[in-house]
Amino acid sequence: MKLAAFNGSPKGKEGNTEIFIRQFAEGFQSVEGSTAVRYYLNRTAEHENFRDAFSKTDAVLLAFPLYTDSMPGLVKAFIETLEPLCGREGNPTICFLVQSGFPEGTHSRYVEKYLEKLASRLGCPYAGTIVKGNGGGITTQPPFIQRKIFAGVRELGRSFGGNEPFDQEELDKLASPERYPWWMVPIVAMRDVTFINLLYWAAALRKNGVYKKRSARPYVE
Amino acid sequence: MKITILNGNPDSENTGFDGYLFNLRTRLSEADNDVTELVLRDMDIQYCLGCFGCWIETPGECIVKDDSAMVCRQMINSDLVLCTSPIIMGFPSALLKKMLDKVIPLIHPYFVIDQGEYHHKARYKRYPLLGAIWEKSGNTDDRDIEIVNEIHSRTALNFKSRLAVTCTTDDSLKEVADEISRL
Repeated sequence: MKLAAFNGSPKGKEGNTEIFIRQFAEGFQSVEGSTAVRYYLNRTAEHENFRDAFSKTDAVLLAFPLYTDSMPGLVKAFIETLEPLCGREGNPTICFLVQSGFPEGTHSRYVEKYLEKLASRLGCPYAGTIVKGNGGGITTQPPFIQRKIFAGVRELGRSFGGNEPFDQEELDKLASPERYPWWMVPIVAMRDVTFINLLYWAAALRKNGVYKKRSARPYVE
Repeated sequence: MKITILNGNPDSENTGFDGYLFNLRTRLSEADNDVTELVLRDMDIQYCLGCFGCWIETPGECIVKDDSAMVCRQMINSDLVLCTSPIIMGFPSALLKKMLDKVIPLIHPYFVIDQGEYHHKARYKRYPLLGAIWEKSGNTDDRDIEIVNEIHSRTALNFKSRLAVTCTTDDSLKEVADEISRL
């Protein structure tokens, strides 16, 4: 089976979406006779060629980072080029991967509903949507956590390549926490949020010499 | 009320949509509102690169110098921002989405917990209400509109605001203008 994996990150090969796609494709290709080709949607001038690739493949993964609660604009531009394929017989089986900077899976559930409807609009058999929170932090996770996450993504790739349904338990694990339970919220607010703000954002602002301007309001009239 | 209309119609030949907005703008102006329509297809707006430069290099401003800075300035100084677009493949246009991706300079990189979830902190003291006006295309159904409005309610939440008006161009201008005047 042939997989076309579309990377919808504006950062292309340099982004975190690529890391997840590589794992998924590795799992997919572990099924005998399966191949995977990656396409980068930040090459917007090539969208029409990518549509041809979409129409000629057996299976599609469309993966992207969550941008203001849905797909990045360039992914929407690609989706618009797919309009002539709507309802065409023989459209590929499709699955999606949405990774977001927020830790909770819930942020990506709204666009997931759109993606399921998109599959139906195109007439593509829908295999599911992989939701991964804290995608932005994947490279800074301890190796043992990374290994667990990657094994989960590879397993989903393998089942997609083997024409098997996604394992719900695996999907849930990757999306966890869906939301923090009420009793954990104050702890998360005090501990995790403070930690990220100081160690990630404040450090980056300081490094760039703009910490004092961090709360600038340049557009106030 | 200061109202900004983001016209996300990518097709200048879709005069029905632009005409609807023209008539709405006229009606809202007659009701003593200060209305500005920004036609996004006529502006130079680049795709967001996801570089976070607007948070950690030039806080509050995109590092790419394009017309999104003017749109952000106009938005944050409004009382109501109407996001408007034809629905294409079940979702507002890529043109409108490209602009909405570029409003992140208006919020702060720091996280806060809001409604029990991670969100970003406010950068400004006040944010405009958001509204949505969609034009259904041939294959748009009620479920599409419901999904799109849910997603834009989330966008409003992240924008420290709320989605206060949702309508389609099937609604009469009077109904839409009345709903806005009740805000």
